[in-house]
Amino acid sequence: MTHETEKLDTTDIPVVDQVDADVVPQRPDRAEGVISRRVALGLVVALILLFPVIAIPVFSSYAYVMQIGMLTLMWISMSSSWNIIGGFAGYISLGHGVFYAIGGYSAGLALAHWGISPFLFLPVAGLAAMAVGLLAGLITLRTRGPAFIVATIAMLFLFLLWFDNWEFIGASSGLDLPLVDIPVRWLKVPFYYAMALSAIGAVYLSYRIAHSKFGLGLRAISEDETKAEVAGINTRWYKVIAFSLSAYFIGTAGAVYGYSLTHLRPLTFFAIAVAARMVLMSIIGGRGTVAGPVVGAILIVGVNEFSVRQFGQTELNIVVTGAILVAALLFFPQGIVGSLRKSGRLPAFLDWD
Amino acid sequence: MNWVQLLVLGLLLGSVYAMMASGLTLLFGVMRVVNLAHAAFILIASYITYLLFENLTLDPIVSLVITMPLMFGLGVIIYLVLFPRIEGSARYVEMTVLLTFGLALVVEGLLTFVFTGTFRSVRPAYVSTSIHVGDIFIPSNQLYASAVSFALLIGLWVLLRFTKTGTAIRATMQNRGAAQIVGVNVRRISAFAFGTGMALAGAAGSLLSFLFPFFPGKHWQWIALLLSLIVLGGMGSIKGAVIGALLLAIASAVVTDTFGPTWSPITFYLTLFLILLVRPQGLFGAKLRL
Repeated sequence: MTHETEKLDTTDIPVVDQVDADVVPQRPDRAEGVISRRVALGLVVALILLFPVIAIPVFSSYAYVMQIGMLTLMWISMSSSWNIIGGFAGYISLGHGVFYAIGGYSAGLALAHWGISPFLFLPVAGLAAMAVGLLAGLITLRTRGPAFIVATIAMLFLFLLWFDNWEFIGASSGLDLPLVDIPVRWLKVPFYYAMALSAIGAVYLSYRIAHSKFGLGLRAISEDETKAEVAGINTRWYKVIAFSLSAYFIGTAGAVYGYSLTHLRPLTFFAIAVAARMVLMSIIGGRGTVAGPVVGAILIVGVNEFSVRQFGQTELNIVVTGAILVAALLFFPQGIVGSLRKSGRLPAFLDWD
Repeated sequence: MNWVQLLVLGLLLGSVYAMMASGLTLLFGVMRVVNLAHAAFILIASYITYLLFENLTLDPIVSLVITMPLMFGLGVIIYLVLFPRIEGSARYVEMTVLLTFGLALVVEGLLTFVFTGTFRSVRPAYVSTSIHVGDIFIPSNQLYASAVSFALLIGLWVLLRFTKTGTAIRATMQNRGAAQIVGVNVRRISAFAFGTGMALAGAAGSLLSFLFPFFPGKHWQWIALLLSLIVLGGMGSIKGAVIGALLLAIASAVVTDTFGPTWSPITFYLTLFLILLVRPQGLFGAKLRL
């Protein structure tokens, strides 16, 4: 993986800079930045992987800490994936809960009917989400701008209605899954690692796309789709593929999360609040950047834990989500990473683009 | 059920839908605002109507007199506080969608906090009566709601067609820049149009309160339905919204009769997808280039 990134850094970044020269201010000390970025990334991955071990002596409520860790990784996975279509290509989808559900239910059904562990089924769950994403993208991406957003909402409700009435998957009352057979104290650990895999995969995919010709094409589409088309980009397929790719790691996250709940209900996955969080995290972190959704996910999971502790598990949490979204759009539309970059104060370890 | 009956039921509900959708499409036409919070605001009016009925036994149709000006005022305030700030930003329309999405979440959360998630309904005497014409039956509540909606639609038409403000609104819909050049105070007109759209949402809330039971999360179903209607009709076209509403209401009455009420919302979503496949610009809309 390190070798790959090194190669990408030296070949692909200058191309991006040529095009974006007037948008992205030149960064001084590029070589130094690349090294510290790679060291930082290595440290982050090491920290994520070693965290369950480090946490044993540090935290008394081990299961709770592991749960929060898993949720953070899940949201990193989801918002980074959403950012591929919603940030890079600029197509805001409020329907990505569908892929979360496809991942969760395909893995759940594989376990309930064939006894395949969702941990092994993970790649297939992602592929299932991706296939649905491809079909849905072919239809919804015929529209642009607000009509696209409307189409994705309709997609979400269409699937919710279907899942709510489909007896094979337990309809609205849900599907029960067997528990994982390990001691309660360590119960969360395999879920944590599976989710870490999903999150690292999502961020890596996002990074690779950002640093590729494909990613450049997506950015061109988000700037001006007509011009991108004139420049010879096959905008239709670029968008459909980006939409489909963005479904993969949301599917895997859904598979792990669903298994950790041991009970799948349509509303767990299709709730509009799920879609709202993905959007919020990307926007507050910085839409269209690689690091933004990660920062946003960590921040919002933190805020959410805080507000649950303050107000209890009430509807005020939705109010907080909505209010942060409104405030971010009004005062902070470029998000944390975007604003820092614009003012030239983005620390090198967060500069992943 | 015979088809005349289905047609009558479809047209009755259709005119209520048409009135709801006309407010939403007016906002899009004048200000390019896709108001995802429209149905959430409708619910606010429903809850106000509920409170007025429970505490003062005020008839829900009479409470329009209160909900409409109240929502008009709220609309003007929301417009002036939120929208001038994002005006002129690169992705204005998308910004409005996300902004109103956030608003919808806030409203839903607050409504749930105040009124809890239980189903509510307003039940004046006429919810359980109906009129029979031959073998066609007409539920009284739907008849009244549709008559009020029809009157409001006529009122909107008169406002847009025959008043100076209406002419200014239509001019702003057609070409914002040009309207400004010929002396239309575009911001004031926008605030007025936003208020008008919200007043229609207020009326819709009062009417829906005695047509269907409601709870705070219900606005997502309503907004999905309304958006299907206006995408079908062509976004920004009031004529399109009305025709789209009537067509879909009849279609959904037929689906309800054939497959049961669970599947009636599917009419709206599926129609939306089919329309997007064959004619992304809707029936009366120009293709959206944003």
